[in-house]
Amino acid sequence: MNRWKRLAPVTAIVASAALVLTACGGSGDDDKAADNSKLTVWMMGEGGDAQTKFLDSVEAEFKKKHPETDVVVQYIPWLEAPKKFQAALAGGEGPDVTELGNTETQGWAAQEALADVSDKFNGWSEGKDILPDLVKNAQLDGKQYGVPWYAGVRAVYYRTDWFAEAGVKPPTNWDEMVAAAKAVQAKKPGTYGIALPGNSELPFYSFLWGAGAEIATKDGDSWKSGYNTPEAQKAVKFWTDLVTVHKVAPPAAAGWNEVDARTQFATGKAAMAFAGSWQGGAMKKDNPDIEKVWGTFPIPGPDGKPAPAFAGGSDIAIWKDSERAALAWDYMTVLLSKQKDKEFASSLGFFPVYQDLVSSGDYANDKVMAAFATAIQNTKLTPLTPKWVEVSRTKTVTQAMNSSVIKGQKTVEKATADAATEMESILNAK
Amino acid sequence: MTTLTEATGEAAARETPARRRRRRVDHLPYLLLLPCLAIIAVLLLWPLGQVVWMSFHKLDSVRQLRGDREWPWVGLANYAQILGDPFFRTVLRNTVLFALANVALTMILGTLVGLLLNRLGKKMATFVASCVMLAWATPALTGTIVWKWIFDDTSGLVTWLFNKLPDGLSTALFGRSDWTGYGWFNDPLMFFAILTLVVVWHSFPFIAVSVLAGLKSVPTELQEAARVDGAGPWKVFWSVTFPVLRPVFGILVVLSTIWDFKVFTQQFVLAGGTQDRSTFMLSIYSYAEAFSPPPKYGLGSAIAVILTVILLVVTALYVRMVLRQEDE
Repeated sequence: MNRWKRLAPVTAIVASAALVLTACGGSGDDDKAADNSKLTVWMMGEGGDAQTKFLDSVEAEFKKKHPETDVVVQYIPWLEAPKKFQAALAGGEGPDVTELGNTETQGWAAQEALADVSDKFNGWSEGKDILPDLVKNAQLDGKQYGVPWYAGVRAVYYRTDWFAEAGVKPPTNWDEMVAAAKAVQAKKPGTYGIALPGNSELPFYSFLWGAGAEIATKDGDSWKSGYNTPEAQKAVKFWTDLVTVHKVAPPAAAGWNEVDARTQFATGKAAMAFAGSWQGGAMKKDNPDIEKVWGTFPIPGPDGKPAPAFAGGSDIAIWKDSERAALAWDYMTVLLSKQKDKEFASSLGFFPVYQDLVSSGDYANDKVMAAFATAIQNTKLTPLTPKWVEVSRTKTVTQAMNSSVIKGQKTVEKATADAATEMESILNAK
Repeated sequence: MTTLTEATGEAAARETPARRRRRRVDHLPYLLLLPCLAIIAVLLLWPLGQVVWMSFHKLDSVRQLRGDREWPWVGLANYAQILGDPFFRTVLRNTVLFALANVALTMILGTLVGLLLNRLGKKMATFVASCVMLAWATPALTGTIVWKWIFDDTSGLVTWLFNKLPDGLSTALFGRSDWTGYGWFNDPLMFFAILTLVVVWHSFPFIAVSVLAGLKSVPTELQEAARVDGAGPWKVFWSVTFPVLRPVFGILVVLSTIWDFKVFTQQFVLAGGTQDRSTFMLSIYSYAEAFSPPPKYGLGSAIAVILTVILLVVTALYVRMVLRQEDE
């Protein structure tokens, strides 16, 4: 017994030392040397055979110039990306090249995550043909932090069979849209006329811009929200009336995002849904037969002209901490070359970013892509400031404004006024 | 650490040799605690100190965390900004009311199930306890996703059940007969009701089993004697069981309070992220401020510190109450 008591402290000390040592172990990575044997590329999404094959062909092309460099591609799920970027930035171990959503480029540029590629971009001849709105969207304070890779706009997917049964044609203005939704809903009880993504902002902006309003405009040094104008109120009223007055979308739509809404359409519960051309694949996954009965038309304006669409898509950027910027740029010019861009964008259901490619007849004659090809001719952007991401993603000002009206918590006037105040306080914060 | 050894050294010097020998043996518990303390210090105390330190700085760039940029000292400005924001009052109200309701419901349900388990026969008790423990064993994330599906607006079980109600009855009670497309999470009150259901479902098994363990240690003669004297179940519980188990209840209330004040996973999943600001509570508010782009680590830290201080105060009050009752 006595011997045990004397041994116990020793055992305790040995045990604690062992524990502390194991806890501290596993931090022995010390390869700092900037070797060119490896180029790390982060791609968004889940990947897939088509994308892997495409990226292999890009690597083969790139290796002609840099045979000693291996390209390592890692896929990051879209929703994980912000966390992954923050961790990479905080830990100092990031990629060399990364894809990122084009609404996020400015925010990450402001966080000093991305390298300034202005000189490289300006000296690159093919870059001159890229759609100017997309190029502008990847700038911060006049400097280029990303290069557009592919582009997409939203349009309306609709059920051609149900429309035929109800005897309505694809609408070209707001009134026709409501009438069509009501007609189909009457013919098909238990379905919704429109799967309204009440908790999403990008489809709504087409209605806002269609009504002639702006999200926010810069006046000298300060931003002014366009939400408390009669035009904006008209758009909010139309959007929310779809649920509250016309009842062509359910109250639950207040909480739907675009994926929720398009799933309603894909699974045969709604006659119309807003979606981008790239989302066709996901809808077909939900319901392979939907392809036989879907058609598309551009989001209509109030008066008969197609409404402007948000120019969405993806950018490619060089990570600021990368020690292989020159190598990274060489990879980008292969990836972003006109020929590769067209090849890749088409396989995803997106558009290439080059003006001449977009306006070519290939898209205008396609049954589904024609509506998108029309929409991409008339695009607009969300306010160009790194603070926009806080309005859009963190405080979700627009989504909250629309939801509060749909839920009956606020009138259109009150909701738009509140949203305008909140937006201005965020955008003009020092 | 050094002051501690000095102090014990001085104390030892003043004592008689016999007592000193006993003293030496008393070091053992501290030595055994050492590895644990070291790990807690590294994994808990250090980050805790870091959060407090961060809350006094303006931190809005990841590069500052890396040490590439300076940390501008702002004193209490972060706290002033949060406490001065009317939104904070909404968040605090949500947090406190939610915690109160959940602690009460969890304790009541857990105690009732504990009493039931105590009365059941061996086989039945094992069966019920296993079922109940399954809820406790379900990871918060998985469990909440299932609950979210149960309340899905189109294909959820609850929506289906309400649709099965006779139309007349449903209209008379709720003013609607078609529940497809009804937004279960639209109304903040409804959201909190569902969140309460999920959180209570997750946490009552622990209370039940702890109460059961306590009950097993109560001599049954006491209760039998009370029953013979003509006391009903209500009276037996409040006059015999509860006073005996008071320390157990004290600890359980403290633990529940801490858990319910910092509910995060369930809320994050049910609300679908950090979009629904009207249902924010302190923990998700802190997370959203700190990590949603653009990051505001200083502000987020300050909210986390406020939450911690509230919890410390609540816990201290409870502990004092329990100790005082012990003395009586």
